[in-house]
Amino acid sequence: MPKETIVGSENKGDCRVRLTPADSLAIEIHTSNPDLFAPGIEAVVTETLAGLGVTQAKVEITEQGSLDYVIAARVEAAARTLFPDLPPLRPQVARSPSDRDRLRRTRLYAPGNNPRLLVGIELHGADCVLLDLEDSVPPAEKHAARVLVKHLLATVDFLEVWVRINPLATYGTDDLGEVMLARPHGICLPKAESAEDVKGLADELSRLETELGFEEGSTMIMPIIETGKGVLHAEEIATADPRVAVIAFGAEDYTRDVGAKRTQESLLFPRSQIVAAAATAGIQASDTVYANLEDEEGLIAETRHIRDLGFTGKGVINPRQIGPIHSVFSPSPEEIAAAERIVAAAAEAEKQGIGAIAIGGKMIDKPVLERARRTLRLAGKIKEGVE
Amino acid sequence: MKNALGREIPDRIGDRTLRPFQGAFATTPTGRKAARPQKTVRPGENKVLRSIEEAIEATGLKSGMTISFHHSFRNGDYLVNMVVDACARMGIGDLRLFPTALFPIHAPLIEHIKAGVVTRIEGSMNGPVGAFVSKGGALKQPAVLRSHGGRWRAIEAGDVHIDVAFIAAPQADPYGNATGIKGKTPCGPISFSTVDAQYADKTVVVTNDLAPYPVHPFEIQQGWTDYVVVVDEIGDPESIASGTLRITRSPTRLRIARLAAAAVKASGYLKDGFSFQGGAGGISLAATKFVGEEMEKEGIVGSFAMGGGTKLLVDILHRGLVRTILDGQAFDLDAIASLREDENHVLMDPGHYANYDSRGCSTYMLDAAFLGATEVDLDFNVNVNTHSDGQLLHGIGGHQEVAAGAKLTLITVPTLRGRLPVIVDRVTTVTTPGEVIDAIVTERGIAVNPRREDLRERFVAAGLPVRELAEIKKEADRLTRPPRKPIFGDEVIALIEWRDGTVIDTVRKVIGWK
Repeated sequence: MPKETIVGSENKGDCRVRLTPADSLAIEIHTSNPDLFAPGIEAVVTETLAGLGVTQAKVEITEQGSLDYVIAARVEAAARTLFPDLPPLRPQVARSPSDRDRLRRTRLYAPGNNPRLLVGIELHGADCVLLDLEDSVPPAEKHAARVLVKHLLATVDFLEVWVRINPLATYGTDDLGEVMLARPHGICLPKAESAEDVKGLADELSRLETELGFEEGSTMIMPIIETGKGVLHAEEIATADPRVAVIAFGAEDYTRDVGAKRTQESLLFPRSQIVAAAATAGIQASDTVYANLEDEEGLIAETRHIRDLGFTGKGVINPRQIGPIHSVFSPSPEEIAAAERIVAAAAEAEKQGIGAIAIGGKMIDKPVLERARRTLRLAGKIKEGVE
Repeated sequence: MKNALGREIPDRIGDRTLRPFQGAFATTPTGRKAARPQKTVRPGENKVLRSIEEAIEATGLKSGMTISFHHSFRNGDYLVNMVVDACARMGIGDLRLFPTALFPIHAPLIEHIKAGVVTRIEGSMNGPVGAFVSKGGALKQPAVLRSHGGRWRAIEAGDVHIDVAFIAAPQADPYGNATGIKGKTPCGPISFSTVDAQYADKTVVVTNDLAPYPVHPFEIQQGWTDYVVVVDEIGDPESIASGTLRITRSPTRLRIARLAAAAVKASGYLKDGFSFQGGAGGISLAATKFVGEEMEKEGIVGSFAMGGGTKLLVDILHRGLVRTILDGQAFDLDAIASLREDENHVLMDPGHYANYDSRGCSTYMLDAAFLGATEVDLDFNVNVNTHSDGQLLHGIGGHQEVAAGAKLTLITVPTLRGRLPVIVDRVTTVTTPGEVIDAIVTERGIAVNPRREDLRERFVAAGLPVRELAEIKKEADRLTRPPRKPIFGDEVIALIEWRDGTVIDTVRKVIGWK
């Protein structure tokens, strides 16, 4: 047994938990204002340890404005490192289901092991939030991060939340085992290169869903295509499993993989390939992130470009990118009016039992009707928020 | 007795009979203003003295008297410590200190309080002095906290008689004209002390930059000034005025600022002639920026903006988005330069913008204002004075006058600061009553005061996330165990005055925790 374990940090919003074996339970709390906070913090620590069945340990906790779920996560991660046989906590989760065809103009990335950046992540108006255990978490912090993400998932009501796990060949299986306890809407699979990658994840999800008593098939998959091989296999990836609701593009890794410079031209082929694959599978395509936070004009220009290519959403690394992207995806009043005419004509045709829809003698195809419906959904959605 | 907000107020404190708060605009002043003794200065008389000690002697400052200061040097002020140190050396004690505000740099006062040199303080206490006074037993009488306008009113009304006013001046001439916007260490307007200069029995201007007559603009006028003292150093330039203040980068705070700007837009007040108050706090700074962008987009030209002046506000003036800035304080060097150079950037004193007992306040002409809070409660009452542990934390500033005056007063606060909930059932201390607050803007939504059903309808129509305050509170409370609450004893540490001189709340000594 290791002599001690330390999890977390003394950064704002976080706490550092130091756990050492002891004959009984001893809790030492360092906080900015012990008069106000110490009893509440102690209650969280005590309950977490009781839930895990730990009765013998010395806990030293140094906190910097951390919320209860952060403290609970740090304590759990520390306890399970010190006592590796402990089973993970399974929190109560009341997750409202999400519609796999819902709008996903933005997917907001948040680093899975930085409590400060996770506070209020659900409040920024992104269509979905993506909690990351992969690129933004160094290997030494993977365990603490997946425990933190689990506790966050159990605490906060998300409109729609995904977890980006590591590839199954590295830490991905452990990631899944932990975060599925708190039932995210979907799992994001990085570096997807084949149908087998997706099927591997789907099998693992089926196993966990059954074990945890969730409806089988209820967890969605979003493969991220970010290699040359993945781009060439986009169609088989998109159609590999009915769980796949979105395929996303990761340009940074892609350009590195193929030796390209990131330009609109160099990304045109992978982007078009991904959009075509998504259309084949009848799912959504979501573009890569735009890394330069300061360049709002560039972000808007790129979003227009990918919208015109056929993407229905884009990755976001900072909440301030949400507003500009949503405005690009907002239909204009003219587009809304045209869509309303088409949908009304379709309704009329159905009422009269006519198969073909026509406006002013011009026939309306099914894809045009679908696009009109989508436009109206976009318009309706946008009225709800300020972004 | 209980005041109109149900807060327990003592009938008397020392030599003073207290009047309970009755409502934001409930009282009407009577009587006449106080006045200083008559005096004449004949041609050729010299006002320049060589030292603070000489000034103390010349003014006849004695034990038991009241001395006043302004706070425009903020945490860079040397003068308060210089004067009180000198008094201590000269055997003068039992002083009542009447500054507009004290800062951490004034921590040496703690020793003077222990030694009986200072026995009363009426003024804001930011930092160690506030923490020390909060422990209780330090002062002969409770501290009194007043707003900018409330302090002005108290002097004019004779509630507080100043024996000697010491005025730190970045530039002065030998005849006693002085300004804060020029000199070696400019601090922005020193107009907070123009009332001190006119009502104190004796007025001493202290400067580190004696310039030839006439120094102008004469914020402090020769006709008010008894003596001028020249010192080598009057403050730490690093801490007096900052470089450009930075807009918050916190996504949560930016979201609050965006919602606040959207609320202003939805309120219907944002049209030609629009006026607003932009603060220097991170959220209000960002909200000011977003409102400015909206005005630019819509081609709206505002009538005026009120400071504290900042580079951001100056940019808004220079982009032609408002016609005028009215400034009682300037927080950065750009704002100070603009006060010197731009005739539409106008110096203003608290008597002009905030005084309840006057024939008009600039804040009454405001459309919108963004204000902060340490706590807000379900009755929309706001606390800016104490921390949730009962410690004195901040002064009132212009919070009361702006909230009371603006047509749209938005309190912009995060729901949590670390583990500390900002929305509470009942604020620890009431600074500003809920009746003058229109909406609370948080990252979890906007709560509109039930008195403003009209606003609520506009916000809802604009698609803003309008929610009940209790619902927002509940959501935030799910994230932390509730902190303990202080149990207060009987000893009154401080009185919080409403701007009309009535007592809106008291701060009592913490004797335990529950």
